[in-house]
Order: sequence, then C-alpha cells, then structure tokens
Amino acid sequence: MADHNDPNAVNSIFSDIDHSPADLYDIFGFPSDDSNAGEKVVIALTFASVPEAGVLDPDMLYRIRMAAHPRVAPPAKDDQNLETLLKYFDAVKEKYLGELKSSEIRVTIDAAQRATIKFFRFPGGNFSTTIDLNKVVNLKTPDGHSIQAFIGGRDDAFFNDLPGFFRSINYAPQFYHVPHTMTEARELPIPKTLLELDGNDLFNYDPKNPDLGITVKKDLPPGPWTWKGNKFKKDENGNYRFVYSGKDAQAGRNVNAIILEIPLAFITRSPEQNRVVNTWGESWVLKAAHKIESIPDHPLLLEHPWALLEAATEDEELKKYKLIDTDGQPFADAALSEREDSRQLGANNFWLGPHFIKRLAHLGWGFGPSISALGLKTSFNHDNSPVSVHKTYSLAVEAFPRVQKTLFQQLNMPDNSWNRKGLNIPLRRPFEIFIPNVCAIDMDTTGTWPYGRRLEDQVATRFLSMFLDMEAEFNGKKYHIELLNDQSLWDAAPIMPKTPPNPLKNDTEFLDHFPYLAEPWR
Amino acid sequence: MYKPRDCELELQQIDKHLSQLEDSVRGKHVDPEKATKFVFRLYHRASITGSFAEFERAESVIDSLIATFGPKEDLCLLKANLDFKFHRVANAKRDLAMAPALPGRSEGKALLADILFQEGCYKEAAKAYEDLIAENRTWDNLARLAYFRSKMGDVPSAEQLYLEAEDELTAKEMRSYAWLQLQRGVLDLTHGRYEDAWAHYTRADQAYSGFWQVEEHMAELLAAQGEFDQAIAFYERVLARVPRPDFQQTLGELYAFMGEAAKAEPWFDKALQGYLESVNAGHVHYYHHLTDFYTDVRPDAAEAVKWASKDIELRNNFGTQSGLAFALYSAGDVSGAIHFIDQALSSGVQESGLFALAARIYRAAGRIPEGEKFLSKAAAINPHYENFHVHR
Repeated sequence: MADHNDPNAVNSIFSDIDHSPADLYDIFGFPSDDSNAGEKVVIALTFASVPEAGVLDPDMLYRIRMAAHPRVAPPAKDDQNLETLLKYFDAVKEKYLGELKSSEIRVTIDAAQRATIKFFRFPGGNFSTTIDLNKVVNLKTPDGHSIQAFIGGRDDAFFNDLPGFFRSINYAPQFYHVPHTMTEARELPIPKTLLELDGNDLFNYDPKNPDLGITVKKDLPPGPWTWKGNKFKKDENGNYRFVYSGKDAQAGRNVNAIILEIPLAFITRSPEQNRVVNTWGESWVLKAAHKIESIPDHPLLLEHPWALLEAATEDEELKKYKLIDTDGQPFADAALSEREDSRQLGANNFWLGPHFIKRLAHLGWGFGPSISALGLKTSFNHDNSPVSVHKTYSLAVEAFPRVQKTLFQQLNMPDNSWNRKGLNIPLRRPFEIFIPNVCAIDMDTTGTWPYGRRLEDQVATRFLSMFLDMEAEFNGKKYHIELLNDQSLWDAAPIMPKTPPNPLKNDTEFLDHFPYLAEPWR
Repeated sequence: MYKPRDCELELQQIDKHLSQLEDSVRGKHVDPEKATKFVFRLYHRASITGSFAEFERAESVIDSLIATFGPKEDLCLLKANLDFKFHRVANAKRDLAMAPALPGRSEGKALLADILFQEGCYKEAAKAYEDLIAENRTWDNLARLAYFRSKMGDVPSAEQLYLEAEDELTAKEMRSYAWLQLQRGVLDLTHGRYEDAWAHYTRADQAYSGFWQVEEHMAELLAAQGEFDQAIAFYERVLARVPRPDFQQTLGELYAFMGEAAKAEPWFDKALQGYLESVNAGHVHYYHHLTDFYTDVRPDAAEAVKWASKDIELRNNFGTQSGLAFALYSAGDVSGAIHFIDQALSSGVQESGLFALAARIYRAAGRIPEGEKFLSKAAAINPHYENFHVHR
C-alpha cells in the first residue's frame, strides 16, 4: 500500500532498546596469586548475559587485546602543564596507532554452543582451539604453556550503587521516562554533586517515593530542567543528604564472561622487562551480509583440537563483524565519553584527551564543592565555591587550570600491600590511568586498581577519590584512594545516611581459585 | 520436523513481548514506558504481517496513549510514521509538530525529508537526506538517499549507497537486511537485470525466511520473466497471508496479461470491493490504486480522474502527477494530460514507466518525435519495460 520508500516500516525507531550481548560491563585484570608455574595474569571480560547466563550469542565475536611493556618513568614533577599533557596524548597516539601490534584472544560461539578461542600475535605464534562453555579448561599452547580458560555464565562481579551515581550526575533516564530521541534530557543541566542540592526536586531523595530511580520512574516534567538554588540541602540536624545509599544495585545479577589465566611468558618474550600488561576488551557483531553465508569450519580446525592459524585469517574474519563496544578502565565512559557510541574507541582514545580535561573539570565543579562541604580537601580548584556549580567548557585550555592538580596528582594507596615486592613503582595519576583506555596490570603489584583491577576493588568509590587532595591528611594519614570507603570518615561527617558511597564488597564471595568469579545465580 | 521460519520466529517473539506488556496499558496506573513499548510492538507486528487491521489497532492505542500522557515524542513519532505510511502526509506533519522538539531530532528530520520527497520538493529532499547522512550515517538514512538517487536515475550512486547501508547492518537486523535486498532487486528489475534481481530476492529470503514481501517481489519477477504458473503460485501464497486489494488486483492483472480474463475478473471484483471499503471508511491510501484500477483494469475515465485528483491533493509528486496525467489521457483530455506529465517529467525522475506513459500521451497529442524520444528513453532504462510489472 505504500508506493514510496519506507525503511522505517521495518526499523525500530525509539525506546525499544533491549539488553545486548554486545554490552561489555567490565574488564578485570590482575597478577595471579598462584605463581607455581611462573607468573600468570588473570583477565576477565564480562558482558550482558544475553540470551542468558551460560548461553552465548553465536553472532558475537569478543576480543581481548593485550600488549606488555616496561613500566614507564613518570614526567618530572615540574612539568605538569597542558603542553606536557598534550604531548603525552600524542605519544600515546603514536604508540597505539604506530608501533603497537597488540596480541589478541578472540572468542566466537558456534550454533552448538562451543567456543572457538583464537590466539593471535603471541610470541609462540597463532593458534586456535574449541572448548565447551561453562567449564574450566586447561589449554596447552604450541610452545608448551598452560592457559586456564572459562567461557560462560557467572555472578556479576561489579558491586555498586548505580542509582546513586546516576543521582550524582542528574541522569534523567534513571529516574524519568525519557524518550530515546531526547538526547538533551540525559545528564540534565543541574550541578553534579555528591550532596543533595537544596530544592533539586528532580533528583533529591523523596521519602514518599523511595524507589524512584531504583525500580520506579516518573514522567519527566516539562523543562527547564535547571536548578535555581544556592546551597546544599541540610536536614533539621544540620546534616547533608548523601546522593549515595551504599546499597548494591547489582546484587543477584549474572553476566557472561571470558576468563583467562595466562602465563606472562606466553604474552611476552621478555617477562622480566615487560612488567605491565595493558589489556582491553571489544565486542563485535556479525554483519548481516555474512550471517547468511554458510561458513564451514576451517578443515584444519575439524581435524585438530587446536590448530595453527595463518596471520591473514584474523583480518578476513574481522571484516565480517562490526565493532560495538569497548572496555578498558571502569568509569571511562563517565569520565571521558559520556557513553556516546561514536566514542567507543578502546585503547585508541587518545583523541579524547582534550575532551577528558574538559569533562573532568565539568565533574570537578560538581564533586569538588561537595567534598569541601564535608570538610575534606579537594584536588579541584573551585575557588571556594560553597556549593556545586554546573559548568561546561569548550576549550581545554580554560578547563586545565581548574583540573591541573586532579590530573597530575599521584593517587596515594592506603598502605604498601599493593606493592608486594617493595619496588620503586611510581604512584599512578589520573591522566595516565584513563588515556589510553586500558586496564594496565602491573605484574609487580597485587593488580589492585589502578595497577590493574581486582575483583574485590570498589572502583566506583576509588574513581571519586581522584577529586580528593592527596596531599591532605585525615586522622594523621595522607588521603588515599580508599579513604571514601572508610566508615569512620562518614561517622564523623555531617551527612545522612552515614555510609560509604558504594558497597564495600560483592553480594557473594569470590572464589579463591580459577575462574575466581562466583557461580551464577539460578 | 517443522522448522519455524525467521518471520514466524520474530512474530512469536513479538507476541511474547506483547503478552508481557499487555497489562501495562490496562488498569488505572499505566506505565508510559511499558505502554510505549507495547504500542511499538503492535506497530512492529503490523509492519511484518502487513495487516491493516493490526495497523488500525496500533493507531487506536497510540491515540489513547497520547490522550492519556500528552504528545510524548515517541508516540508522536510513531503516529507520524503510521500516517506517512498511509499517505496522510499532512497528518504526519501535524503529528511531528505536536511534540515541538521532534522535528529537530534525527528521526523527525528523516521523516520530514521523506515528506519533502512525497510533496515533490526534490531539491529540498535531496539536501535533507544528505544533511541527515552527514549528521547520522545510519543504514536507513543511506537507504533513503539511495532510493532518491535511484528514482533520479543515478543508479551507480544508489547502488553504492545501498551497499554502504548493508554494511551498517548486523546479524541482529536481518529483516532490515532483507528489505534492503528487495530494494536492490527492484532497482535491477526496473533496469531489466532479471538475474541480478533474482539473486537479491534469493538473498533476502535467505536472510529472513518466510517474509511475504520477498515472495511478493519474487512473484512479480517471475511474471516479468514469463514464468506465469510459478508467479501465480507465489501470489496465491502471498494473498493467503495478506489478502490486500492491491495484491488481488495484481494477480488479476497477471491473469489478464496471460489472456485469462475469466480468472482475472473475480480478483478484480475483490480488489475493487477492498478499495471501496477502504475509501468508504475514510482511508486514503488506496487512491493511487483506484486511479490505476480505473485507467488500466476497468477503464472508467471519470472515476480515474476523481481518484487521481484526490491523490494529488494529498501528495503532489511525480507519481500522483503521472497518475492524473494517465487518467486525463484516458478521459480524452490530452492537453490536461500533457500538463501533468510535463510536471512529472520536470521532477527529473528517470523511470521507464514514466517515459513510456509520456510517449503515449505525446503521441496522442500528435507530437510524434517527442513521443519517440520518450519511448527510446524508456527502452534505454529497461529494455523489458513492456513485460509484466507492478506499480510500486
């Protein structure tokens, strides 16, 4: 009946976005505690359990990419300016677009729910094998190494008060019915904050509707969605109201995961020098044109449980897929790219460097005054603003003076346990953590964030600690990345509820052995 | 063992979602997000089945949700798409305007570009499509421009754009991929490349099996190739699932083309009955088919001019202009026919059917050399333009 072109007749056009197996959640990476047969690194890439936990989508291709390098000496302390920073971004760009040829582990699933796992560009050569899902499998590599692998369903290892985070950034779709088309109604133009703003009726906790933003959404009232107040909200006892609850919004949830325990000597020929394993994950979906091709298994793969692969195989295969998502650092989306699909660049996110500076300054105007109001010192220069401010920047050069300390300060660790060998390892700084967007696992540490990411790390709260002034002291000790997880800080602070922002541990115990992530919830 | 086809599987999935969401539109506390998903699923289902009754149900739920929640963007966009689909162009514009920000959204702009094309604003439509792609290089925007360029005779560019659109689609969008294959097949068919068209239709069937639109396209191609028995079998299968009057007319025309008037007539009766029921119910989307019916199938010049005039009031474009030109020609008003065929030709559209009609009208006006020129143009585009074909 339509005598005209009508592509939307067959196209989903609006709020109809389902969970996708392409949604990557987290990448964890840390040195294995088991060093019996030499050093090993554990890497776990988690993603949406679609179609269900333990069942993977045959249209997907997952990549875990990795490159081992020596630990880099930090720039001199007196060199902390915008020019140095931009030079650093350029150097990263050269590295990731130029010399770097990362190794790669690639996983696809066949119709019978068997996983083909391919290893490309490792020193021992390319090879491939096929394994069962939901089982721990020991893979023998052609050069004699042993790799543990698990592909299948597990408990979601992320524990976090996600609604609290969304409240802190005034993210409307968590609280309101926001059509997919209304891109301007996502992060509303209200100051970001850790403490509720007086009169911020759109996002403040409502005791009459306690589940708003958790299980309940309301209609978004007509704009303007701004805030006209000038102070943080206080209760009758003079306490601020925390935007966080400390509750685990991820409790009871499952993921699908690719988990590997790999000898460092398999990743690099020089494990003594290349002490940092940079890793990141990617999800790719088969292109439609290739879905209808009948692609027989490679004859070599049918004859052998594992097989050597030609170098050309990888590119030909990848041409049939489309990159959807990348994952390296936790909260890189929030810190860097505001979850825009066009910015899914993985490690190659160097061009976002100037954007990172502007975005961090924008966040700083929200979180910095909140931290000051609690009587803590902030790394962000907010000119002693008594309350959070909504400010955006169009130029990195304008934002930089505000955020200089936040970017360059070393993030103190709570004690020395992370540096298990007591080596001269520099403390890491935010600019080098987020660009490139990789999980950089330091093999001489425990791999706790930001020297990797361990399952038990409360990374959401550690992310917030970037805005603390690491030169300041609390109870006679320098601020550190775990400070906001310290209950005594909240007990002493004029705030309700008296809780760290996010839960301190996962809803179920992690395993002390491979695959480390707990069994899935049934 | 019976293996459900892709189309059936998708319908099963939609039905599952619908049953999960059905409660969301009942009772006192309607959840707007779930209700919007529900009505989208209704629309989605109707798009697959091609059932007008299902579209009507979707429309009724959209209207009731707009009455309840006000002109939400998602709902207005859906309503505008539905109105556009059924040739209610003015309504589609009004729907978009109900949500003030919607015409500025990417989805709203895409529909407005389609409306420009339907209203015969070709330069503006072309620019709007190009701007859309610069802003948002999605498969459907690429397909929009491809269609525009194909109509304007820039076949290499259209093919390239369709290829790019294909490359944007993933295994999760196989129905869209099949739809693109059909467009590419039509492009080949209208240029006389039957083998290439068949390859695209076969690919569409592989991509998304059990889709009646694929069978309907295959039926036309088989008929064009003179494989009448097979074509009839395909049309009958399509009609068993989608008993639309335009398909009933097509099958009748095929019988007539084969010289089997007795078999054709019952299908024409059914088609006419369907058309008239539709217009009597106030619908406008069959005006174009009624024009065609009364010029080609059961000539009645006055009726043809009546429906063509109504159609052009809704959408003044090369299609409705050529429809009115043909109707006027049938009524013996050759100068009127020349006026409207010239308007259609001035669009820049390069179609063998349009040129063949222009040749007929110009020759009737005694302008033989111009008529011959248009006939040559028609044959240059599609050497088989006189074979059986469907007016899309």
